[in-house]
This record gives sequence, structure tokens and C-alpha cells, in this order.
Amino acid sequence: MAQTTAGPGAPGRGPAKGQVSLVSLTKRFGDFTAVDAIDLEIPPGGFFSLLGPSGCGKTTTLRMIAGFDQPSSGQVLLDGEDIARTPPSRRPVNTVFQSYALFPHLRVFDNVAFGLRRAGVARSEVQRRVGEALDLVQLSELASRKPGQLSGGQQQRVALARALVLAPAVLLLDEPLGALDAKLRRQLQVELKQLQAQVGITFLYVTHDQEEALTMSDRIAVINRGRVEQAATPRDLYEEPANAFVADFLGVSNLMDATVIGPSGSGAEVRLAGNQVVEVARGAVATRGPAKVVIRPERIGIEPADSAGPNRLPGMVTNVVYLGSGLQLAVHLASGSTVTALVPNNAEESASTWTPGLLVTCHLPATALRILAADDAGREPAGDTAGRPPRLA
Amino acid sequence: MKPVGRIGAAGLAVYFWAFVIFLFAPLVVLVIFSMNSSATPTLPLSGFSTQWFRQAFSNTELTGALVRSVAIALIAAAIATALGIMASLGLLALRGRALSLALTMLLLPLVVPYICLAVGLLILVQEVGTQPTLAAVVLGHCVIVLPFAILVIMPRLRSLDPAMNEAARDLGASEFAALRLITLPLLMPALVSSGIICFVTSFDEFAIASFLAPSGQPTYPVFLYASARTPALLPEVIAVGAIIIAGSILLVAGAEGGRRWAERRLVGGAG
Repeated sequence: MAQTTAGPGAPGRGPAKGQVSLVSLTKRFGDFTAVDAIDLEIPPGGFFSLLGPSGCGKTTTLRMIAGFDQPSSGQVLLDGEDIARTPPSRRPVNTVFQSYALFPHLRVFDNVAFGLRRAGVARSEVQRRVGEALDLVQLSELASRKPGQLSGGQQQRVALARALVLAPAVLLLDEPLGALDAKLRRQLQVELKQLQAQVGITFLYVTHDQEEALTMSDRIAVINRGRVEQAATPRDLYEEPANAFVADFLGVSNLMDATVIGPSGSGAEVRLAGNQVVEVARGAVATRGPAKVVIRPERIGIEPADSAGPNRLPGMVTNVVYLGSGLQLAVHLASGSTVTALVPNNAEESASTWTPGLLVTCHLPATALRILAADDAGREPAGDTAGRPPRLA
Repeated sequence: MKPVGRIGAAGLAVYFWAFVIFLFAPLVVLVIFSMNSSATPTLPLSGFSTQWFRQAFSNTELTGALVRSVAIALIAAAIATALGIMASLGLLALRGRALSLALTMLLLPLVVPYICLAVGLLILVQEVGTQPTLAAVVLGHCVIVLPFAILVIMPRLRSLDPAMNEAARDLGASEFAALRLITLPLLMPALVSSGIICFVTSFDEFAIASFLAPSGQPTYPVFLYASARTPALLPEVIAVGAIIIAGSILLVAGAEGGRRWAERRLVGGAG
């Protein structure tokens, strides 16, 4: 079933297509620059996410690719051709809307058939392709229902089938799981990812949910204030964030003010507040002077108070949050800053062991610490932080 | 747990029924006298008869006026509803001052006395150099019923998800096709309401019609006004009044049925 619904990337249809290049794409609304000269390469046939807080310009970028918004300047290249001025009805891209935007007066079948009929596809062909698309999303038996009779998850699948049936070069998805409850959302994340692999169409996915983006994407562009902060694989973004915003947005990070004082082994020697000196192996180790140092909570080792060695700082547990699979500790360091650490939940022991007031030693391994150059670190997250995890550094 | 006491409840009931009687007594009286055999509408009732209905429909002056009014109301309702759709689409794109200015202009006929509009239109028609015509009546009625069309259509249009139209265009529909296949069907309940309100308002309108209808071609309200001074015609007028009441009830019932049908289509009935 997937062969015919699949896009031009399917076997026997020539080389994979669906490559999108944004060239200094800009969108201004009056004085406000929603998208600020974005340059971005979206490779064909992959699952690409635009991740950022609400109001960061990611949806506007998507709308310019779909054709609903006209760029103020710049280009939208689809397989090398500028489509920035092409009306949405003539672009080989289709959209899954956040609200689904199913046509309430049409049956599921007619919703999915809408695009094929507009394209003048013959009746029997419409019948066949709609059937295949509905098979693909496992909704064949609901073809004669109206959208109002379907659950949220089913409506989402209809929206997906309606867009995929036209075999677009690129499928645009605007927070399509936003309206669903957490459990269904996780299930559909997996299904969407599988579906993308199955049909081979370029998926461009907009979300403010970092976990969703990390789970599903082959590549992610983190957007903030209308600019791309970093575009990389989920692993690189998480492990090698280019700046403080990316580090912070992709989950809880501990950001600390620091001064890089000199080389140390393969890395650099860094003085934290309170005159504590640690070795840092990753990031901008060649810089000198003021910088920021970042470490993930799960990489901080919590050791007994009397433990000694390099990269170890004394501290006191000030807060314990039970997360189920683990515990999140807030540890006030002697240096004056507070870091967040995660410790695994080792059954009954954990709950009683970790209590506020407990004196501990924090081990910050050199290979887990990362220097963010002052230039990057200077770019603080935008004031608009809706949908972003709280900053606990 | 009662919101009002016993005496309060009784008072409310009395008020309610007094209100109902005040509202419907004239209509009931009209229907009763339409089937009274006497030529004068006075008590006591003299006997059951359908002669006034027959007589009314053999009076060509009366039926002519009735047909004229229905035709004018249909045309005015159709034009105003079409203009109302366009105006609402345009208003949807406006914001702030531009919106309130445009809306105020479009809704102005609601607060201008019809008699002023009528006199103004009469002068205008004569200045343009034509005599009063039924077309002028239609135009006048379009002006006064357009605000009703906008007031009914615009809220419905506003409640539609703008992504609906974008989805249609995304799937290959031109702007016009998106309007025809998606927006208009979704507006249908409002279009039906608009049509009915415009029709009734135009059908009922006297001032403009009395100034602009050519002599010898009165609309029904104008004909009624003239015939009120001819006592012999009164029983026929009463009979037609009864028919119009019946027609109104059918219209309202039909509209409600149609609205429910349309809503069911949107939500999705069985299969």
C-alpha cells in the first residue's frame, strides 16, 4: 500500500526529492521580525524538526514553505527551484494543521479525496488511492464517518492521510500532536516516525516539545527569535550544544559562570565562582577568559561528603523531587551556585537517603563539562519562554 | 432551592401568560375573523365561512400586490445575502479602526429612519431621471436588509477555523474553489437565516415601497394601507393575513428543521 502513496522518493520514481533550502528567508510583520534571515538545508527523505519556544518564528517559517505567508525577502528552494511566489495550491507540499482543519461537512473519504479531485484524478483512481491512504493510517472502516464522529487521534490520522494521498515532495506538520493527551501523543510519535520511514517523504515537523523533537527527528533546527541557533542531529544537539540557549532548551542544563584560565591535558582549566578550579574536556576549550560552563543533570555524580579527587565540589542537598524513575536533587555548591542533578531510583534506599540538608560531593567529570564561548553564552533565551522547560541552572 | 417563593412564582406565571396573550391575541383574532361569514369583523361571530379566502384570491389587485412583494423580497434577500457574504469576507481581513469604520458604515441603515431613506431615494431616482420603479424598491430594500445579512453571516464566518480555507488551498483548490467547496457550505446555516430575515424585513417594509413603488403597482403593505380605507375589502385582507401567519409559521418551522439538518450534516449523522 505504501508504494503508491509514497512520494517521489519511492523506488522506481527516480532520485529522492523533497530537498528544501531556505536562503536568508525573512518575514516581517510591521516592526516585528518573525523570521530573521534564516539559512537552512533540509535534506530529502528525512524527518526534520523545527524546535523552539512559541513565537520564535518556526510556524511562520513553515507557513512560508506552505505558501500561506509571503516572505518579506529571501528564497524558498524546493529541489533547487524557488517556490516563494508560487500559490499554495500549486506547490508540491502538503500540510497537517495543528487544528487538523478537517472539512466537517465532508465524510472522511471525501476529505481525503479532496486534493485528488481538485487535481482532476479519475474516479476509479481516486477510489483506489484514498483506499490506500486510509489503509496506511488504519482508518479504512471509518471512511463514511464525518470528522465530528472521530476521536482526536483518528482525526489526526485523517489529516495525515489527506495530505499524504497527494504524494507531496515535502509534508509539513505544524505541532500535529499538540491537542492530544500525553499517552496518545507518545504512541503517535512512534507511528509518525515509522510512517515517515515507510513512505520516504521529507517530513518537516514544527514543535515546541524538545522531547518530541529528540524522539522523532533525524535532524533538528533549534529556532529562537527568528534565527537558527543550531541545526544538527538530536544526539549532537543534546551532547554538543552550540550555545547556552540550545543547552537550556534541550532539557534541564546547569549553566555556570566561569573563567577559562589555561590548557589542561586535552581540555582547559576553568575557574568557577568561589575559586573552584575544574578541568573541562569539551566545547570551546581554546577560548580564554569569561565563559559559561554547562553540564547535564544526569552527568553529575553525587558522592559521599568525604569523597575526594579532581573535579569534585562540596555541596548541600537543598531540594529533592521524586520523578518515579529517579530523583532530581538541587545541590547548593560551596561556590555559591545551585546545580540540578539526577540520581537513579534504587528502590527504598533512595527515598530515605536523599533528604534536604544532606552534605554531599558533586563530581563534575571533565568529559561531561562543556565550555560555551562567551559570544554564544551571551545570547540569553528570549523573554518568551512559553512551552519551554523551566530553567533550573 | 427555589429561586423564587410561591407568590413570586405565581406572579411570574401571570406575567408570562399576560405577555403571551398580548403577543398572540391579535394573531388569534385575525385567524378567527378570517373564517367568519360576516362582512364586518365584529362580535358576535356569525358563522364559519371560507368565502373571504376565495374572494381574496380572485381579487387580482390583491394577488398582484402579494406576488410583487414576494418577488421583491426574494430578490432583495438574495442580493443582500450575497453582498453580506462579500462584506463579511472583507470585514474579516480588517482590524482596529478600519474595521469599526467599515462596520459602522455598513450598519448605518439600521439607525437611519426608513422614511428618510425613502425620501432620499425618491429624490435620487428622480434626479437620475427615471420614474419610481419596482427596481428602485428592490434597491432600497437591499440597503435596509444588508445590515441584517452582515450581522447574521459575519459571526458565523468568524467562528470558522481560518486553517480550513488554507487546508483547501494547500490541497490544490483555488481561492474561489475553497470558497465554493468549503467556506460557503460551512456558512449555510447563517445564509439560510440571513435569507429568511431579509425576506421578512423586505416583505413587511412600507415606507420605502410607498414612496418608490409606481402608482398602480403597489407592494402588499402599500396595498393594505390603501385598502384599509375601503371597508368592503377588509375581510379579504384579514383572510390574506391569516394565510401569511400560516406561511410564517411554516417558514420558521422549516428554517429550524433546515438548521438542524445542516448541523447534523456538519457533525455527521448515521453513516
